Amino acid sequence: MDILNSLLVPILDLKLLALIAIGTFAGIYVGAIPGLSVTMAVSILISFTFSWEVYPALALMIGIYMGGVYGGSRTAILLNIPGAPAAIATALDGYPMAQQGKAGEAIGIVTVVSFIGGFIGIIALAVFAPLLSDFAIRFQPRDYFLLGVLGILLVGSLSGESLVKGIFAGALGVGLGSVGMDPLTYTERFTFGTDGLRAGVSFVAVMIGMFGISEGLMQLHTVNTPSVKQKISRIVPSWAQVRKHLPLGLQTSSIGTIIGALPGTGGDIAALIAYDHATRVTRNPEVPFGKGAIEGLVAPETANNAAVGGAFIPMLTLGIPGDAVTAIMIGALFIHGLNPGPMLMIEQPDMFWFIVSALTLANVFMLIFGLTGIKAFVKIVEMPRAVLLPVILLLSIVGAYAVGNSLTDVYWMLGFGVFGYFMKLYGYPLGPVILGVILSRLLDDNWRRAIISDQENLWMLLKGTLASPLSLVLFASVVLIFLAKTPLWGLVFRKKAA
Amino acid sequence: MKQYVIGAVAALLLGMGGASAQTYPAKEIQGIIQWGAGGSTDTVARAVTPHAEKLLGGSIVMQNVTGGVGAIGLNKVADADADGYTVLFGAENPLLYKVMKLGDKDYSDFVPVNILARGTPILVARPDAPFNTFPEMIAYINANPKAVKFGSTGPGGLPSVVTAMINSKTPIDVTYVPYDGDGPALTALQGAAIDVMPAVLGAAIEAIKGGKMKPIAIFDVAGAPQLPDVPTIVSTNPEFAEMLPWGPFFGVFVKKGTPDDVVAKLVGAYAEATKNPDFTALIDARGFKMLSLSGDAAQAFLTEWQSTTTWLIHEAGLTKASPADFGITKP
Repeated sequence: MDILNSLLVPILDLKLLALIAIGTFAGIYVGAIPGLSVTMAVSILISFTFSWEVYPALALMIGIYMGGVYGGSRTAILLNIPGAPAAIATALDGYPMAQQGKAGEAIGIVTVVSFIGGFIGIIALAVFAPLLSDFAIRFQPRDYFLLGVLGILLVGSLSGESLVKGIFAGALGVGLGSVGMDPLTYTERFTFGTDGLRAGVSFVAVMIGMFGISEGLMQLHTVNTPSVKQKISRIVPSWAQVRKHLPLGLQTSSIGTIIGALPGTGGDIAALIAYDHATRVTRNPEVPFGKGAIEGLVAPETANNAAVGGAFIPMLTLGIPGDAVTAIMIGALFIHGLNPGPMLMIEQPDMFWFIVSALTLANVFMLIFGLTGIKAFVKIVEMPRAVLLPVILLLSIVGAYAVGNSLTDVYWMLGFGVFGYFMKLYGYPLGPVILGVILSRLLDDNWRRAIISDQENLWMLLKGTLASPLSLVLFASVVLIFLAKTPLWGLVFRKKAA
Repeated sequence: MKQYVIGAVAALLLGMGGASAQTYPAKEIQGIIQWGAGGSTDTVARAVTPHAEKLLGGSIVMQNVTGGVGAIGLNKVADADADGYTVLFGAENPLLYKVMKLGDKDYSDFVPVNILARGTPILVARPDAPFNTFPEMIAYINANPKAVKFGSTGPGGLPSVVTAMINSKTPIDVTYVPYDGDGPALTALQGAAIDVMPAVLGAAIEAIKGGKMKPIAIFDVAGAPQLPDVPTIVSTNPEFAEMLPWGPFFGVFVKKGTPDDVVAKLVGAYAEATKNPDFTALIDARGFKMLSLSGDAAQAFLTEWQSTTTWLIHEAGLTKASPADFGITKP
């Protein structure tokens, strides 16, 4: 009964309902604009909602969070500039769809599967929160490292024609990610003694440059060909289409929820691992991955929205943030006089159910706002290139500046834009670079933690890995996936078939 | 008419001459937070500032400028004009920049507006660790060299200072596992990836109350009212008293050279803001000790803190340069 009351709070209070709606709406645009992040918006809101009651403040933040994670897909599909790191995988197949005149269809399916993913994350939060947080917190450094290795194997499916070029690009990304002050030892790496490099290379700036600017430069080759006419007859996907992708969506939502619940990883890594999962389990995609496969949209978009509910799991059960946004929300709860921690659910269960309810509403609003106005959005891609290209350039510059109010980031962005253009010209895939940058810290930090924990003894580390069921499963997955991608596997497989 | 023009010109000149107490703040003030959103420095800065804004009659736009152990944010404020329109919200780290070779600037390039509060260190262990008190922990470590895993956050952080204190009295042979902040390290502690973590009290209170961590000792001369049952280190090992009390702190700073009347206005506003009941409640709940120091008291606090800490970690072999090179006197 108490639970029901708490669940009804945001639904019956018109003001809270309106705040969630406003937050979700604003979140979609914050998410869509590259460089503006949900993390940034929520931390600004802490000051803005300082004098408010805690429920309205949270209602607005939750709306922005849910809307923002979804909004990142918009610019990824329309302009090949992911609005947020979590939408990188979405650009891989979403943008090719837009180039084929199917931007409306892509946004439609992304909206629906984001809703499904979000909903599954919320159910997991409501039903399995204590169970999942116990599981998530048991992840040891070696497990995070293995998860990172699992992610880096994605290079295989992002490489296109040449695996060698893909590995080169991925290694470049890992290298880029290690620039700056090492957060574990405070030692400078690849900074050449300059102040500007100490904070590292902003990877959002790299992302905007590599995706946005390089694409803009590529389009200069075809600046006089008319833009692709967009088909906007069918936007809301048919039930048959949703049902076809539902099994994959459920799997990737589970991946998203768990990775979201892990304190060391968030929606960006969830989306990439889900994409990799999709490339492996989809036997015969109608369109190949990277050329506009629907599966390539379903997987990352269900996963990153499922990660929202997942991220709240350790936050509400233990006071441990599941990602950067929930870390700020914990700060907000403190400021509003609450004490997030293991006692919160016992002492104030109403807060838990309020958040579950607010997330559900934000998810519904996301679906409504997401499906309206698509036709107008799609027109962006139909703009003549002479108009569109300057817009891309402007958006990229503003976005790169907004990341840290720093001109250095703009230079990085432009530099990597030009670099990315030449990589594209010579057939080097860009996806692995971004993948490498994202996973660099996860791999590097956790490898060092793992080997230091075992007294720098590789044998002890291996024994520990084989003794823990969780590590063993991850280790086996890494080995199997790796073998599955080598020619040896094909040889054995073909022999059996023959 | 002529008088009106002269008046206007005079006003303009005055305005150009910089902020004066009458006009300050005439525009938005930029607040630079050295550490990331959601952390202790961030929470404290964002909690006190709205109260100070009201008293100042202007707005302070808060922004997190992170990286380089806070040096990036500090340098940003140091590079701005000394007009009181760029304010730094920092923690204790800058006082170690010189000896750690992380930068050539520290708080001696700034004027303290308010040293808001100090944190209390506490030693926590995972709930099923095979020891309950500090002497038991030392005995266990001595019986099992290298087996106990201590969380650390890089040289100069609270864990490294507390560990240096322990090592200066009873050398211990343990494995240090590095984390990027006490938050992730305390998470790892709850997942048994590490065994012991020196942390700031506020970050551990809720988890201790929930039984997810075991308190070993409070590193202070006096106990904490938030956790009355936890013994202080001094109660079992009085030899630590000479180095205590010690703790990380948070403060508000402006660049040296800021006009005195502007500093005075900021000092007044923040001193008053720290008395706000909502803020004092937050400081209590998070296990901090309110200081609210300004002027000479703040300066003396900074000097003493720098002297104690730099020499302590220097003698533990954690520094890259001797404090003596920068004229930091030995306590």
